[in-house]
Amino acid sequence: MINLSALSLIIPLIAGILLGFFFRKRKHVNLGKVTVGAIIVLIFSLGFSIGSNSELLNSMPKVGMSAFVMSILAIGFSVLFVVLARRRLLME
Amino acid sequence: MIKYILTALAIGIVAGYLNNNFSIIANNRVSDYLFNASLILLLLVMGLSFGLDKEAMGKLRRTGPKILIVPLAVASGSILGGLVGGLILRLDPLASMAASAGYGWYTLTGPLVGQIFGAEWGALGFVLNFLRELLTIVTVSLMVKIDKYAPIASGGATTMDTTLPILVRYCGSDVLIVAFSSGFILTIIAPFTIIAIASLA
Repeated sequence: MINLSALSLIIPLIAGILLGFFFRKRKHVNLGKVTVGAIIVLIFSLGFSIGSNSELLNSMPKVGMSAFVMSILAIGFSVLFVVLARRRLLME
Repeated sequence: MIKYILTALAIGIVAGYLNNNFSIIANNRVSDYLFNASLILLLLVMGLSFGLDKEAMGKLRRTGPKILIVPLAVASGSILGGLVGGLILRLDPLASMAASAGYGWYTLTGPLVGQIFGAEWGALGFVLNFLRELLTIVTVSLMVKIDKYAPIASGGATTMDTTLPILVRYCGSDVLIVAFSSGFILTIIAPFTIIAIASLA
């Protein structure tokens, strides 16, 4: 039940943070272009998996409207609660 | 930036659709490989910029364990949103709450909710959570104007992978740990909250 691939994502993240600490003394590390390129590839392959998921695409017309209303409400209340918590607890 | 992201998403969807229906490459593993490789690279790079940013660590330290409130607020907001949606649309409120307790993780919620509440609910859980991810990507530039944490709240469980690089791009490097940990915790608790809600029936 627990998502093992979720756990494995911590490894590159922590490796990156440690590398960052290590390179702090260096003057410039410009990764803007690498990031943009990788984001484009990531989002393209996300789109690809959506486009090739016929089960998802076929159920869109049938349940799309209810799903849209519920997703807006779920997002709306999540944003409201987080913003309230952030203001109350003075999180930076 | 958002124009490029949406274009890439649209081209990806069309390419995936064409590939699936006319089997041009006939192998979806290529896109899985691209997805994982770019995600791991991005996590490395985002971690690196966070480590380099001297202020980011200080901000995180001042906020401390309070960041754990974020996923809890997202979880309760999502479930309340599902309940209100179910009542407005006159659908089974428990099934609505379970479907929205996927927090955007549609590949889990579709099959799981489908197994418990039937195929129709599986389809709804699937599309609801897919739209949550899509809306998070589309609205990130507006959300960030409401609050720096608003896109994190919107993204739910997706803020540990698919939407993380976009959030960091728009909200700044210092939200990295808040966004990742919130997405991580929501990913871990999603199956449990869905089953817990279903057991109330």
